[in-house]
Formats: sequence, structure tokens, C-alpha cells
Amino acid sequence: MTRPAADDDRLAVSLRVLGWCVAVLLPVYAWTVIQAPLDSVQGVMQKILYVHPPLAYGAYLGFVATAIAGGLFLWRGREVHDQLAIAGAEVGTLFCSLMLITGPIWARGAWGPGNWWVWDARLTLTLLLWFVYLAYLLLRSFTEGDERAARFASIYGILGVVLIPLNYWIIDLVGGAMHPDNLANESSGLGEGMGLPFLVGNLTLFFVFVFLLVLRWRIGVLRAETDRVESDAAHPVRGSRPSTVDDT
Amino acid sequence: MNVALTLLWKDLVTEWRSRDRVVAMTIFAFLVVVVFQFAWPGMDREEIARLAPGVLWVTYVFAAVIGLGRTFATELENEAMTALALAPGTRGWIFLGKAAATWVLITLVQVLTALVFALFMRVDVSVGLAGSAAIAALANVAICSVGTLLSAMSVRSRFREVLLPVLLIPTLVPVLAAAVRATTATLGGDPLGLSLVQPLIVIGGIYLVLSFLLFDYVLDE
Repeated sequence: MTRPAADDDRLAVSLRVLGWCVAVLLPVYAWTVIQAPLDSVQGVMQKILYVHPPLAYGAYLGFVATAIAGGLFLWRGREVHDQLAIAGAEVGTLFCSLMLITGPIWARGAWGPGNWWVWDARLTLTLLLWFVYLAYLLLRSFTEGDERAARFASIYGILGVVLIPLNYWIIDLVGGAMHPDNLANESSGLGEGMGLPFLVGNLTLFFVFVFLLVLRWRIGVLRAETDRVESDAAHPVRGSRPSTVDDT
Repeated sequence: MNVALTLLWKDLVTEWRSRDRVVAMTIFAFLVVVVFQFAWPGMDREEIARLAPGVLWVTYVFAAVIGLGRTFATELENEAMTALALAPGTRGWIFLGKAAATWVLITLVQVLTALVFALFMRVDVSVGLAGSAAIAALANVAICSVGTLLSAMSVRSRFREVLLPVLLIPTLVPVLAAAVRATTATLGGDPLGLSLVQPLIVIGGIYLVLSFLLFDYVLDE
């Protein structure tokens, strides 16, 4: 079983590699978006398209990361998995919030004043996802005891990811036909010269997501290590505590 | 299995002697029904009939949240939770006993609420009575499964009264949506087909199995 120090070393190396990827991709991304032709109907508002869908992938990836890490924590009981779960939830919430902010800005621009929000299937789903994320973070902060909070949060994270396909299915059954063609042709309706910035946008924001995820993960690992060192200093007789969390 | 049956019996007997959960849930549900009356002054019968399934299910879910919040509250006294955790066998059976008892109580409250609702809102429930009952019975499986799991978690957190609805309601959205859809169809006179109950069976089944398995990690006593 690896010690937290080894985990941290590996995370530090990945972070450096990812940081370079982001640093190279970001200017390219900005340049391609600026260079992309203006949409004949929506004008400059259409450029939100290069930001909004990639954010959505980040939000879903965050949730999946949280659920997988939560499952691993329940199975193996290693603290490091729980720290990945927290990172997934926090970075996912950030991406989800940004997506919920950029969506209505585009909607108002495309559909006219007063159309900030429409109860469309995908919008509703994202909003629900956001609420599940918030509930997850609340559960963490309201539960006393690190190990218990980690266990409860893992359970909720797994429940949350099961909820995504269920919600998809139900909303499709119940209200999917309400706005049949508003977002459906969004990605297929890319005009000449719009494909490249869209692709670069997806790639860049994916790397940004992974970078932030690993960064937050590393902060969690380092924080736990600091706590451990401090508690060892306070109680030198007991020696160093093991890196695993008891899962009983 | 015996653990589940014993717990079911224990919870029902405790409830029969105190009747606090059922009374609280029923009064709350009646209150919500009456409050909705003020939310739509002067609405005609057709409009009310159209809104009825949604309002009824929102009332059911709110009442269920009240009842689920108390599922494990009594177990906190005298360290009864530790005694529960010491029960032989998989801890999933503890979950099943608790969930079954809550299912009985919630269903009872729903029957009473539906009667009052039909009376106050002048909705003709005789059309789809059996269908609506079957829908409620199925939806309650999902509500009680995930509700019991989350209740066991929230009861040992700070702000447990706030935390349970915040955790529970997002997970109940698909159940609510499927139940409202099916109830609307049956109250409208349609026969209760497989396509209407299928989502409820699937969600109920998934939630039941998942909660049964995950409950093992909830008790740490």
C-alpha cells in the first residue's frame, strides 16, 4: 500500500504535465475562438457554444469521478480515494455552475428578451445535477467525523450517478417533447470554420478540468498529511498513524 | 430475514402505541392540501382536475419526508443504533425492516390524504381508484428505500431536519415525475398499462437493491 508521500509525488508530476498542456492549449483556444466566423443569425452570442458544451462534459466527468472514487473508498477504505471524490464534486460543481450561467446568457441572446430559462429536458437535468452536487457538499460539511463524512458522501455520490440515467429516461418520457428542436441541432448546426474552435474548446476545457481535479486532489492529500504530522507532533508516543481509514 | 420481520413488527407496534409519526404526517398532509386551496383561488373544476395529480404527489412527498425524518430518531435514544448494528446477518435486513415499516405508515397516510383531497378538491377518484393505489404502492417502494438510507445518514448529522429534504428530494424527482404521469393517466380514465408503471418498477427496483447494499456502510456503531 502506498504512503501519502508517494501519492503526492505522483500527483505533483501529473500536475506539472497537465499544467503545461493547459498553458499551451489556452492561447490556441482563445485564438481559434476569436478567429471563428460570426454566426449569421446569432452573431457574437453563438461563440458561447465554444464554452458551454465542454463545461457540460466537465460537470458529468466530475460526477462520475466522485462516484467511482466513492465506490473505491467504500471498497478499500483508503483516504486518498475520498480526497479524489471531494475533488470531483468541487470541480464538477464549478463546471456545472458555469454551465448554468452560460446557458441562460446564450438562451436570452438566441431566443430574445425574457427567455433566460426554459424548462427544457437538458436544462432541467443539469439543474438537478447541480442540486445533487450541492446536497453532496452539504452532507460533507454537516456530518461530523472525517471517516463518517467520507462514507456517507461516498454513498450519496454513488446514488447521484445512478440518478443521471434515470433522470434522462424519465424526463424524456415526461417532458422531452416540450421543446423538441431548441438544443437538438446545436452541435450538428456548426457552420463552416466553427468545428475547429469547438474541438479545441472541448480539448482545452477537458485538460483544465483534469488539471483542477488533480490540483484539488493534491491539496486534499497534502492537508491530510499536514494534519497527520501535526497530530504526531502533539502525541509523539503514539507514533505515526496509518494512512488507511478504518472502515467498519 | 428474521431481523427484517422483527424490526418491521417492532416499528409498527411502537407506532401503534404512540401514533406520533402517522398523526404528524397526516396533519401535515391535510395542511398542505388546504394551503394549496389558497394558492388557486377561484379555479374551476377542470383546471383543478388537471393539477390534482401533481399537487397530490407533492403533498405525498412532503409528508413522506416528515415521516422519514423520524425513522431512525428513536434509535438514537439509549444507544439503540448500536443494538441494531449488532443484529446478526447482513445489515441490509435492518434497512429492509425499517423501510417496510415506513412503507406501511406512508401508504396509510396517503390513503387518508387522498380521501381528504378528493373531498376538498371535488375530484372524482372513483374512476382510477385501483390504478392510483397501485401507482402509490409502487412509488412508495422507491421513496421508502432511498428515504430510509438517507434518513439513517442525515439523522447523525447536524441540521438533520434540513439535510434530509435537501438530500432526498433530488433523488425523488424521477419517482415523482413517473408517478404524476401515471396518476394523471389513470385519473383521466386510461387503463393502467405497463408503459405507465414500468418506470416506477425500474426505479423502485434499482433504489431497493442499491439501498440494501449501501446500507451496510451507513451503520458504524
